[in-house]
Amino acid sequence: MKIKRILIANRGEIAVRIIRTARKMKIETVAVKTSVEPKAMYLSDADIIYDNTEDDSEIPVFLNIERLIEIALETKCDAVHPGYGFLSENAYFAQKCIDNNVNFIGPSPDAIYKMGNKTIARKIALSAGIPMAMGSEGNIGNEEEAVAIADKIGYPVIIKAASGGGGRGMRIVRKPEEMEKMFIIASKEAEKAFNDPSVFIEKYIENPKHIEFQVLGDKKGNIIHLGERECSIQRKHQKLLEEAPSAALDDNLRDTMGRIAVQIAKAVHYYSAGTVEFLLDSEKNFYFMEMNTRIQVEHPVTEAITGIDLIEQQISIAAGEVLKYRQEDIKLTGWAIECRINAEDVQSGFAPDPGKIEKLSMPSGSNIRVDTGVQAGSAIVQSYDSMIAKLIVKGKDRKDAIKNCKLALDKVWIKGTKTTLPFFRMLVRNQKFLNGTFTTAFIEKDLDKYYLNSEYEEMLAAWLATKLFVEENLLDNSINVDFENSREMSPWLLNKRINQF
Amino acid sequence: MTATGSKVKKLYALSSENKRFCFSQPLKHSIRIGKHDYEVKLKADDKYGTYILWKNRKYPVEIVRSRQNKYEILFNDISYTFTVETPFSMQRMKVLNASRGKNEKEILKAPMPGKIIDVLVREGSTVLRGEPLVILEAMKMQNEILSPVNGQISRVLIKPNTNVMKDDMLIEIKVD
Repeated sequence: MKIKRILIANRGEIAVRIIRTARKMKIETVAVKTSVEPKAMYLSDADIIYDNTEDDSEIPVFLNIERLIEIALETKCDAVHPGYGFLSENAYFAQKCIDNNVNFIGPSPDAIYKMGNKTIARKIALSAGIPMAMGSEGNIGNEEEAVAIADKIGYPVIIKAASGGGGRGMRIVRKPEEMEKMFIIASKEAEKAFNDPSVFIEKYIENPKHIEFQVLGDKKGNIIHLGERECSIQRKHQKLLEEAPSAALDDNLRDTMGRIAVQIAKAVHYYSAGTVEFLLDSEKNFYFMEMNTRIQVEHPVTEAITGIDLIEQQISIAAGEVLKYRQEDIKLTGWAIECRINAEDVQSGFAPDPGKIEKLSMPSGSNIRVDTGVQAGSAIVQSYDSMIAKLIVKGKDRKDAIKNCKLALDKVWIKGTKTTLPFFRMLVRNQKFLNGTFTTAFIEKDLDKYYLNSEYEEMLAAWLATKLFVEENLLDNSINVDFENSREMSPWLLNKRINQF
Repeated sequence: MTATGSKVKKLYALSSENKRFCFSQPLKHSIRIGKHDYEVKLKADDKYGTYILWKNRKYPVEIVRSRQNKYEILFNDISYTFTVETPFSMQRMKVLNASRGKNEKEILKAPMPGKIIDVLVREGSTVLRGEPLVILEAMKMQNEILSPVNGQISRVLIKPNTNVMKDDMLIEIKVD
């Protein structure tokens, strides 16, 4: 069953990304226009725009299963691509699509359900003999039980949401006396984020690396892996920079971990693109953490070193095609790094800094890829994530990729919100990052400063402040703006003030 | 101030970390590093917005806030706060600072706009530095707002399930 028209049940850069491949495959796309972002960039790329701006439902449309199905049927879509986040890992949504004869571009509802429920996933992995960190057998009912189990496993432990992901509903507990408070917080957060308050406990592996394997399977049971991604640069379990491959793996370890990733995927008869996440400790022991049953934000680094378009694979697999690749066909060439340029204030501990993007200019070149859903004039709104763009840079090896990344970062120009750029500019010069020995604790433990600035930059800023002071207070003509003689200065000052209202 | 303008020979920009940058007045459009003067240009155009051109490189700049002699400047994505002082106001400030007592109250402000999910303390609670006080949800992430000091909660200004703007006052702590 060939796919002819896809409803993009998502927004932002991933909507743009999916539309790009669909167009390449000569498949039409339908994008949903919302009142939150009626001028969003992804709309201009789609073949058909479904106007949902009148929808006054409290649930955002990308989370509204009934509504999305209605839209898919009304616009005669034969498939839905959920992207990441929103309903991408919602088994009920996948089932609803199937029930309505709409192809869900992703794995089976059963695989989503089993891997999405971390407690079930643990049981499956255990019975398949997959190495895992010690933990509770099932969900934890109350604080007392949590304390008892943690005492048995030994502190530190980590509380995780059974239906969780992306760091939410996750709490590390180091001392028994913190357990009660943390259990309540984790459980509340889980309920809020995933509609399911159940949590479980695992032994917390100190300072591991986060290594994940991209897998790809078809509906005939063929499953391969496309190597790993290194995602240890993260803050509060939110990834900031990813690379492929990882400096921590050699071919032997890659083979072993890859084989186990495939084994996990096979245990749930997985098809489509998926990601198996592991923790790797300093002794190179690895532990299965979870499987993400969707396309990942960081998928471009894998595409960069394998030359495989993962969205295209997802679509072909959904259409019932057999995988064109066998494991031995997969060759990893070169090195790729992705920087997530987010509207965040690095100086305030990465607090979101939503606002309007006034200027945006990204580098280009043969080793550079930029995935973005915004342009100058777009707004980063509070209701969604803070991503501005993903900068993906390639090199022939890690050193070369970092060098190219450093150059590319200096060519990114964004005005309007604060961004994570100063963080990356610091990172690509950090010794621990350069030698590849960083772990997930890197940001919280190894850095005293989250950003790069030279003393000259501060001096130049001081000069500017002084200049402003002079213009405003000491010059006789400061009140009468003279557009002819102070062209370089006044329009900008006025602009900024006008923009603030 | 306009009247005194011509008499000021020097200006100081004091950073929030008390670093002092001294500039002669009238202000030159160059900065001396070692033995060389490097030209500084402030420019603006449609493609880049406002920027400073220095040593052949463009740096994005923005005035985030300016109030009286206090300026918050965004320079290459990093924000800096300076107060600009004349030699006279600098002297006056030193005198004022010496006579002022130490700050006994700490007011906790919202670091970002968002929704209050939970308030973990009450008026009168004793708190330790680093203890979570409030859970604030912003952009789908729950953030714990930690106590910056040891002390006693003197006022709680927010309730769960309400929205706050950046810099809204949340909690007042009497510092031990």
